[in-house]
Parts: sequence; C-alpha cells; structure tokens
Amino acid sequence: MPELIIKARNLTKSFGSGHTAVTAVNNVTIDIQPGEIVLVMGPSGSGKTTLLSMLGGLLSPSQGTIEIDGTNITTLKESALPDIRALKLGFIFQTFNLLDALTVEENILFPAQLHPGGINEARGRANKLIDQLGLEKRRHALPQTLSGGEKQRVAIARALINEPKVILADEPTGNLDSQTGQEVMMILHEIAREQGYSVVLVTHDPRVEDIADRILWLEDGKLGARKQEQHKWSRDPVCGMRVDEWTADIKTEYESKEYFFCSDKCLDNFTANPEQYKS
Amino acid sequence: MFKWTWKSLFSQRGTLIGSALGIACTFILVIFFDAVWRGETVQIVSYPNHMKPDVWVMQNGVGNMHMAMSFVWDWKADKIAKMPGVKRVTPILYMNSVVTANQTKMFAFIVGLLPNDKRAGPWALTAGRHIENPLETVIPDVLSTITNVNIGDQLHIADKSFTVVGLSSGTYSSANSVLFVPFSDLEDVLSSTGTYSYLLVDAEEGIDPGSLAKSIRDEVEKVNALTHEEFVRNDFSLAKQMGIEIIIIMTAICSALAVLIVGFTSYSLVMRRRRELAIIMALGMGSMNILISVVFQSGILTFFGFTIAVIFALFVIPYIPLLLPQLTLAVSVTSLTQIGLIALVVAILGALIPAWLVSRVEPATAFHL
Repeated sequence: MPELIIKARNLTKSFGSGHTAVTAVNNVTIDIQPGEIVLVMGPSGSGKTTLLSMLGGLLSPSQGTIEIDGTNITTLKESALPDIRALKLGFIFQTFNLLDALTVEENILFPAQLHPGGINEARGRANKLIDQLGLEKRRHALPQTLSGGEKQRVAIARALINEPKVILADEPTGNLDSQTGQEVMMILHEIAREQGYSVVLVTHDPRVEDIADRILWLEDGKLGARKQEQHKWSRDPVCGMRVDEWTADIKTEYESKEYFFCSDKCLDNFTANPEQYKS
Repeated sequence: MFKWTWKSLFSQRGTLIGSALGIACTFILVIFFDAVWRGETVQIVSYPNHMKPDVWVMQNGVGNMHMAMSFVWDWKADKIAKMPGVKRVTPILYMNSVVTANQTKMFAFIVGLLPNDKRAGPWALTAGRHIENPLETVIPDVLSTITNVNIGDQLHIADKSFTVVGLSSGTYSSANSVLFVPFSDLEDVLSSTGTYSYLLVDAEEGIDPGSLAKSIRDEVEKVNALTHEEFVRNDFSLAKQMGIEIIIIMTAICSALAVLIVGFTSYSLVMRRRRELAIIMALGMGSMNILISVVFQSGILTFFGFTIAVIFALFVIPYIPLLLPQLTLAVSVTSLTQIGLIALVVAILGALIPAWLVSRVEPATAFHL
C-alpha cells in the first residue's frame, strides 16, 4: 500500500470559547492516498471548508494532527507553513481568486516564484498547462476579460504549476454554469489522473460525484455515512440539472414556490425571466 | 511579488497619480521653505561676503555683523593702518534700523560710507550712481521694485529723509536689505563722533590674515579681529539659527503630511487588496515577503512624489524670483539629499499601519471570498 499523502488524525476545530464556542470540525480522521480523488460533501455549515482550510495549513486545528507527504504540519512553526502550501499543495477556490492586475500567464506563474527552480524553470510547465487547458489565446489577457470557465482553468493551472502532491478545491464549480462546471471538472479529473495528483474536493454539486474515487460525508463537523434520505432531489429550472435540496444553498422563492439551482448563473437567468422557467 | 505590487499599483492609475501628486506637494513645500531659508540665509551675509577684506576689526566681544552693534575709536583705525602688513583700512559705520519707503516699513542694514569710499560700498549698481553728497542713499533694486521708490524719490531712515541716487543688485533680503548712506549722516543719526563700527583691513600681499588678525588683537586694546572666513562663518551661523526652528517645524509638518498621504494611500490600497493578500498568503507567500511588498509599494509612491518635487525644484523654483523678486531662493544638492532621506523615512513610516493590517490578514479567508 503506497504511503499516505494526507494523514489527518482526530481533527477538531472550535471557534470562540465558553458559551459561545462552536465546534466546526469534530474529531475527524482522514487518509488520502496518492492519486486519489476524494469528495467532501455535506450540508451547508457542516464544516467542509474549515476541514479543507486545516488540511491546507491555512487554519490550525484545535486538536489533532495533519501530515502532508510525511510532514506533520501541526507541529511546524507558523513561518514554515507557507513553504508547505507553496510546494506541496495547490488550491482551487470557488471564486477563482485570480490576481486582477496580472495576466493569465503571470497568474499561473505566480506560485512558481516560491519554487526552488523559480519562474524561469517553470515557464515550460506553464506553457504545457496553458496548452492543456486551452488558454493559449488568453495567455496575455487580464482576469476581468475572462469567462468564468476560463478563470477556473487559469486557477487550475496555477494550482498545478509547482507540481504539488495534493490539490485542495473548494466548490470549484460553484460559480460556473452546469456545462462549464462539468467541463472544468473533466479537465481537473483528467490532469489529476494523468499526473497522479491527489485531489480533495469540497462540493455541493452532485454531478461531481462521478469523478470521485471516494465520497466523505461531513455533517455537524463529523464524518459519517451518507444516508439516502438525506437527498431530496429537484431539477434546476434553468438548465435541468439534478440538485439536492438538502444541500443546495443557491435557491429562490417565486410565487410561493421554492426553486433550487446548480449555479449562480442559473439563478441569475431565472431571476431575469422567472415566467420562462417557472413550473 | 514585486511585479504584482507594481502592476497592482499601476492598475489604479488615478490613486497612484493623486497620491504621488499629494506627496509631491508636501515635498515641494519642504523644498520651497528650505530654498527660501537657504536663499535668505546666504543673502543676509551677502554684504560681508562681498566685501571680503582679509581681516574684520570690531569692538571686543563682537564677532559678527548681523544684528550686532560695534564701536571702535577712530584712533585705533589709524593705529592699525600703521601696523606692518596692513595695506589699507576702510572704516564703516553700521546700524540696524527700520526704513520707511512709500509707507512701507522694513528692517535694513544701514552702512555709512566715508566720502569717495568705493571699497565698502555697493558692488553692483543697476541704475543711478554712488553717493556723493549728504542725505543721498543707494538702495537695493528689488526694494525699489517692491516699494516703488525710484531714483530721485525720498525714503526715511530714523528721523532723516534721504534721496535715492542709485540702485544696487545683490543687496536685497526680505530679512534685512543693505542701504548705503554718507558716513556723516549716519554719524548724525547715531549721535556719535570719532567712532567707527567695523574696519575692513586689507593685508599686504603674502601676509597671512590669521597672523595679522592676531597681531591686531594683541596690539590694539579692546578690539576683536577676525579673518574674513571666521567673521562670515559667525554671521552665517547666526543667520542660520534665526530661521532654523521655523524650517524644522515646517519640514516636520510637511513630512508628517507626507506620511499621512503615503500611509492613507497604502492603507486604502491594502484594504482594497485584502482579498488578494489572503489569496497570495494561501498560495504560500510568507508574511515577510508581503510586508516587504507593502513597504515597496509605499516606497514607489514616495519615490514618485519625491521625483516630481525634485523636478519642480530644479525646473520651476529657479524661475520663481522672476515673478517674485523679493524672494531669494537657493536649492542645493545637500538640501535635496536631506529631503530624500526624509522621503525614505516617510516611505517606511507610511507603510507601518498597512503592514500591521497585512499581518492581520488570515490566509484562510481566501476560501470565503
């Protein structure tokens, strides 16, 4: 059995103290194998993003230990964590989080300045990623001129530029329409499989389940088995995609009926012309 | 990282230009006040500087001319004139007084010249002639422009009226201009006879002024004798002291203003970029790098402001006296270097609050943006 890439033991994260203390993640243990794609799903407020932040060394756990590629990051000094984040982890965010003043190529190369080889050595990798992700024509474009799908592809390239061991993705399809979201996930899936990256993906999007090796269900800060009855499926009235009413947080009410959406874009389309989509 | 800082700053050109101009204004004020002060300080000592005798002789206990009063008996001048190594002794009478010209009152140095004395008189006439008769005066040409008192007009020194017969250049200072009058008239104003104020002693060729000054001090009782360099140094240092506090206060106020502008701009840029700072930290950038980038950002702003101010100082300030002849401005490399050092401090101080803000950015917020 290959060595674990992420080995998290008894992770607990509490915010506040006394009467106001809230335990966002409660005694969670996770193992991630090299090349494994793991989905972390669960209702809103279940602690998914807190868990991902801890795995990424962005938030220190109140209790428990995390080993990334054999390094226990919970015992490391604060000043040593940026190197772990830069070299062993790649981040993909829901809102893309590109740097507005930098071009596509500069955004992709940004983390490379933290790599021992530097930016010059990373140019070859950047060119390959730009090519792989179909960004060649947008190489010198600024983020504000890109579509949502292009932005997320740039974010994926940026996450991969330092050839990290693990990709941590938080709702990567959350701000994309269903078709673009699916395309982006397929690209991420292909690259992860091809290059052997481990991926930990937090999502509400049930369509992403198809690419996962394993799904973890987080509820009230604890990992548990997902119960079938915890799904309540409905259809996105705009794109027709299946949406879980229990976990969907993109929703609206129209003529006393609640509608659920797969993305903000579908919600926007619905809001613009509800008569066209109402059921 | 620096590229991101640079491009981020330039992506908000309006903020960059506005801040750089604001900072430039404060530095221009500092440079301008400094130039006025330096110009005036040099101008205040312009009379002794232009006279340039080898040795100045004055009453014992007096060591300069600016705002000073000195009396030396006339027989002492005769004694000094007979000393070996002395080529010529030119006595002057001198007082500080208020001059009234066309209802305008101003402080001035009044120099009383013996008849036909060209040695201690105005060194550059721009109009008219030297004084030849009683109750005549030569005034600075700038004073004539400001007060509209021209050749043939009257002005008052103490209780006497003088007719302007000549205009001299290089003798105006807003603190105290130099006016020349006949010796006997000034003697009358001072109600003194048989005394001089200062003796301008020219030495024979090859005589060391220092040794001559010492001989005069040793051989003539109750007089002080200083070489020209010592005398001017004393006068200059006194003139400098007179305005230095004001200049320091003005510099401090303007520098504080510059710190506020740099600080506010950096602060607002950091506030706007908190999202990106969290992302950068999440991507693995250490806080030290980010702090350096904040200082770099503040340094760029200050540099632009300082550069605009220096360009102004070099290309605009020299032309200001053409519009305002009463201003004597002097911009020196030393003062620009000093202001450059102040700019460096401004940049660092201006980065402190933004740096503190940056240190409070949580990289985990990158997930919630």
